[in-house]
Amino acid sequence: MRLGTIGALLGWLLIFLSVALLIPIAFSIYYDDGNWQFFVISSAIGFVLGGGLAWSCVSEPEIGHREGFAIVGLSWLAAAALGALPFYLSGAIPSYLNAYFESMSGFSTTGSTILERVEVLGPSLLFWRAFTQWLGGMGIIVLSLAILPILGIGGMQLFRAEMPGPTKDRLAPRIQDTARILWGVYVFFTAVETGLLMLAGMNFFDAICHAFSTLATGGFSTRTDSIAAFHNPWINVIVIVFIILAGINFSLHYRLLSGNWKAFGQSEELRFYLGVGIFATILVMFVNILFGTYDSWSDSLRYGAFQVWSILTTTGFGTADFDQWAPVCKIILITLMFLGGMAGSTAGGIKQVRILLFWKFTRIQITKLIHPKAVEAIKLDNHKVPAEVIQSILGYFSLYMIVFVVATMIVTGQGIDIITGSTAVIATLNNIGPGLGGVGPCQNFAGLPDLSKAVLIICMVAGRLELYTIVIIFVPKYWKDVRYPRWRWSKT
Amino acid sequence: MRVVVIGAGEVGRHICQQLSGEDHEVVLIDRNADHLKRAERDLNILCIEGNGASAQILEKANITKADLFIAVTDIDEVNLIACIIAKEYGVLRRVARARNEEYFPGTSPLNEYRLGIDLLINPDQVMAQEILRISEVSEAFEVVDFAHGEVVLVGYQVKEGNPVCGVTLADLKDLRGLYDFVIVAIVREGETIIPRGDDIIQAEDRIYLVVRRRDMAAVEDLFNLWSMVPKKVFIIGGGRVGFRVAKALEQRKVDVALVEIDPIRCEHLAEHLDSAVVLNFDGLDAHDLLSEGIDTADLVVAVTDGDTTNILSSLLAKYHGAKKCITRISRPDFIPLLGKLGIDVALSPRLVAANMILRFVRRGAILSVASLLGSDAEVLELVVSERWAYVDKSLRSIDFPADTNLGAVVRKGKVVIPSGDTVLKAGDRLIIFSMKKAIPMVEQLLAS
Repeated sequence: MRLGTIGALLGWLLIFLSVALLIPIAFSIYYDDGNWQFFVISSAIGFVLGGGLAWSCVSEPEIGHREGFAIVGLSWLAAAALGALPFYLSGAIPSYLNAYFESMSGFSTTGSTILERVEVLGPSLLFWRAFTQWLGGMGIIVLSLAILPILGIGGMQLFRAEMPGPTKDRLAPRIQDTARILWGVYVFFTAVETGLLMLAGMNFFDAICHAFSTLATGGFSTRTDSIAAFHNPWINVIVIVFIILAGINFSLHYRLLSGNWKAFGQSEELRFYLGVGIFATILVMFVNILFGTYDSWSDSLRYGAFQVWSILTTTGFGTADFDQWAPVCKIILITLMFLGGMAGSTAGGIKQVRILLFWKFTRIQITKLIHPKAVEAIKLDNHKVPAEVIQSILGYFSLYMIVFVVATMIVTGQGIDIITGSTAVIATLNNIGPGLGGVGPCQNFAGLPDLSKAVLIICMVAGRLELYTIVIIFVPKYWKDVRYPRWRWSKT
Repeated sequence: MRVVVIGAGEVGRHICQQLSGEDHEVVLIDRNADHLKRAERDLNILCIEGNGASAQILEKANITKADLFIAVTDIDEVNLIACIIAKEYGVLRRVARARNEEYFPGTSPLNEYRLGIDLLINPDQVMAQEILRISEVSEAFEVVDFAHGEVVLVGYQVKEGNPVCGVTLADLKDLRGLYDFVIVAIVREGETIIPRGDDIIQAEDRIYLVVRRRDMAAVEDLFNLWSMVPKKVFIIGGGRVGFRVAKALEQRKVDVALVEIDPIRCEHLAEHLDSAVVLNFDGLDAHDLLSEGIDTADLVVAVTDGDTTNILSSLLAKYHGAKKCITRISRPDFIPLLGKLGIDVALSPRLVAANMILRFVRRGAILSVASLLGSDAEVLELVVSERWAYVDKSLRSIDFPADTNLGAVVRKGKVVIPSGDTVLKAGDRLIIFSMKKAIPMVEQLLAS
């Protein structure tokens, strides 16, 4: 554990973000919302802190996989801390903890908010909110890998810590090229969606902000009423299509875009993902008719489909207040919250491939009870899945449950009711956004006690980085053999 | 450049590490998932599990886009077949490792050119060559020829009490008189220093000099060193490498004693060797070694299959007064450690083979490359092209990357030891000493 390397790379990342902080200034000046100086100050603070760290710590040439976790985990915590500054400095969010919550909700693509009305932020802060989601969607480390040569060596340790997932597919031999390809596809989709939303009648500002939070499966909108505020069926359709796309593994997108037409057909996980989504849509549609939530089939399909996909991909956009739906619908949505999108997508949650493999594993256990001597292989896309992958998935489930239970206990222990408390944890741990009850689609997280907010912040980043990267930072053993940094000014 | 390597053994991994460190795109194929897992964890490369001689796997590795194909699995046949397939896919350059020399006796109608292999590497042969190369000069631990042997790079260990200890390089320059040489690098406590004028030579440094071959004797004189062809050589281990070395040395009229533990192998050796004495006992049997006079040997070459035997017998020989030892060790990680133990030269056959392949890979504008033992530096020999931006410019005006040093300029067969005023002309051969990490910058400079 070399603190020097960690410090130096953390510094570079802060410098990188302080450059990103300058972008909203363009919107601030265009809309004249008077917030530009807060971005300048935040950027300057980030630059000084980052520059100081990067300059004073001497980085070792190699990054071990242990440093990788710390660099990525701490980078995300630091990125959110820096990203919270504009909200805090401008006075739009007076409490720094709330600002940090909002910022982490952005970077982790959660979309939970502590604001009652988001419109009070003004265009530049709203843009920054959406932009943090966009940066966090494909990953800030992956982005810096793609464009910063400084992270070239040992980059794959970082890549692995930020883009975990049970199976890995590399698109290019060099990790930097893989990062570039993924971000290329991501930017391409963002540009296409922005264009389509403008054609459907949004202005450029709303279009790009919504494209950012759709592709990142984030869920921050520029309106308090989310997508519903636009009353435009075309926008609904465009957003739902891109939500579904964002929940698909981006390497599959790349394969398809580079001419491999069979890429989608070959993926078992994709079929499972679409199957789950379609099945849940139909179910919700029928139930909402049955319970009289909606009168017409078309309304029930429209709202049901949007909500199901928005939740399944962990986006969290709303066109309806599903807190008013029948209880069975709510439980369907809560189940979907855990599932999440495909591995390698920008979605959160447990990920489809894990559920799929878990299901296959369970099925084999049952077969084994019937045929004790049967030899069965767990296959995915016609290839045998190594036993250690299954083991890691089982380990992941148990860790997931532990984190979920502990976080829920802390939150409900502060006097929050069980629906609000548990769904707040589910919504943040799976990077969805809204939960039910006190944190439902038309409510916000502002009313929760401070400790709960802090726990939920950890849940958000842990969920985004698939637990291990964050959990390991809190393990004392991990910090055992710390080597203190070599400072640039110290002579050896 | 896109490189496809098959075989994730020591050689394959070393090549992958070098090439990916130089920012090439590297794909590694191996049948063993565990080997790959290790490579994937440590290196920035793409790993594919499967048989490297299967077209399906090679297509998965995007072989049609590859510029270089390196087949270094442990199975000769797989390497050869893989290279033939790679040729069909149009890969420009192909390298294969083949241990079994029976496949290619010089007269076979199916030689490596017919098979489309640009470099066929036999690790035992390369290892034997390397040992013979180093054996020539006794006190030097390294000798590399450049410019058809007119210029040599020699590595010496500076011993305590040597008159050059404590002298700065600038002072040494005044001292050197008529003989031109350049100290291109100093290895001190495992760290390679590209020296400037104010650096001081210290005892226990390993210094690398570039010098004209005919001036070598005079320079050695100046440095109070001696060199000679060994007269009495002990070889411990009569395997393929030991046999090759013994055969070559006996042709040079050197007294060779070859120690081998296996009596049947001994008979085979005795049948194929003439003047060399084949001894049948354990290489760790100190009594027998001493009674055969290992203490008076000029050179001991320990090349059995066991690292322990090699290390212990080398240490024993050194302890009893052998002048120099060359030790084979299969785990390259231990090479730096062995220097500390007093073993003069430690060679890993796999590293030697990998370096040979890398030398071939770098060919192009660069004529030859040598990696130096126990140091992260390389020596490049290259030709100045007419189109180069710095033709007819003085050296002073060229912005050489840090961590590189121009050792010599060879012009029309004459050696110029460079100074700031030397003007480079098209066709000059440059001998550049460079840290490995600076090589891409050197390549860039030469491409400008």
